[in-house]
Amino acid sequence: MYEIKKYSEDELVSLLQQKNEQAFSYLYDNYAAALNGVIFRLTEDKELSEDILQEVFVKIWNNFASYDPAKGRLFTWMINITRNFTIDTLRSKGYKKQQKISGDENSVNNYADRTAGTDKFDTLGLRKQLIHLKPEQRSILELAYFGGYTQEEIAKELGVPLGTVKTRMRNAIIELRKLLQ
Amino acid sequence: MEINEIISSGLLELYVTGLTSPEESGQVEQWAAQYPEVKAEIEAIAIATEAFVQANAVQPSVGTKDNIMARIKNQSTATAKVVNIKSSASAKVISISGIWKWTAAASIVLLIGSGIMNVVYFNKYTTASKGLKETEQLLAQQKQESNLMNEDMDIVKNKYSMPVALNPMPEMPDANAKIFWMKNTGEIYIDPTNLPAVPDTMQYQFWAIVDGKPVSGGMIRSKDGNTYRMQKMQSFGKAEAFAISLERSGGNPTPTKVVSMGKII
Repeated sequence: MYEIKKYSEDELVSLLQQKNEQAFSYLYDNYAAALNGVIFRLTEDKELSEDILQEVFVKIWNNFASYDPAKGRLFTWMINITRNFTIDTLRSKGYKKQQKISGDENSVNNYADRTAGTDKFDTLGLRKQLIHLKPEQRSILELAYFGGYTQEEIAKELGVPLGTVKTRMRNAIIELRKLLQ
Repeated sequence: MEINEIISSGLLELYVTGLTSPEESGQVEQWAAQYPEVKAEIEAIAIATEAFVQANAVQPSVGTKDNIMARIKNQSTATAKVVNIKSSASAKVISISGIWKWTAAASIVLLIGSGIMNVVYFNKYTTASKGLKETEQLLAQQKQESNLMNEDMDIVKNKYSMPVALNPMPEMPDANAKIFWMKNTGEIYIDPTNLPAVPDTMQYQFWAIVDGKPVSGGMIRSKDGNTYRMQKMQSFGKAEAFAISLERSGGNPTPTKVVSMGKII
């Protein structure tokens, strides 16, 4: 629905396993902005984000053999690599984790001006729909993706038991799924 | 666990967002392999969260892609080590470029060179060390001799010391010796360095003539039978004369053959 695909995911994976540069170029065009968004939300530094983005893509290229399609989607795999690498980088460089968890309605739109939306996705449309998420649902998604937190840290941050983190996360994603249908 | 319980547990959402522990991830993967419904649910969660991430996209600068493409092109000519990465761990990419190979080669050459120089310098050190040791030994020996000489000189120079020359008897014309008698303490030193060498079985004995009778003042010690040093003999408070006799080794109660004698003037 949101992707204009030139390759199917299977084709893309197969080509990347063969170190096909064209496929890699396509991968960049389609996912760089999203991955950069993850990095930027964690670092809040444009230059550093792009440095990390470079490392992440080189890493994806070099370690593509370790991606197992049976275990999950390619994009999800890349998002997790990106996030973990960014968190590791920030920790190793001794950056302070600057948390920006905002429950207010504008928290997502705050970044709109920095987002020269990609044509490949209806980013703006998605963004509008996310406004309909409840603040607590948006904040847990943001903590999960952009806070660099563990389950335990999220629970601590929100002042709720671990079990509640699971429930709230599930409800947020159910809501998200409804919005995307 | 029932499939519905698994799906509603919230664990699948945490798994997709990478927030599960390795144990939990293993468990979820096992369920996914076992139940198609769980696998489908994970897929649906992934699509939804991917959309959330896309909604937060930030377009990178134009040059970023060129940099990345240039880097992966360069890498295909370099050796890259690929380390398997798990979703929870980051991978290390170690590449060895030409300059490092040369650096490594240069390091090895330097190391070998250094090893050779170690051997050379160790040999030099050993020689120098040996030389130093010999010099030190020689110095110590000289110092000891010098000390002994000083001791002898102290005796001669002492203001209370009275020299008494012992003159050879006709039986042994070379038997010259000197006595230094300390008038204040009665100590007697003999300088036997001019006495002729004697066989191992024989020894010189020192005597003082007190009230006309010879009294033994002890045996004159020699190093290997023919090297003498000035030495202290038995003290006498008074004496008329001193004599040296040649005796069998160990001495006799009365002199057998007097070889040298001197009177106190």
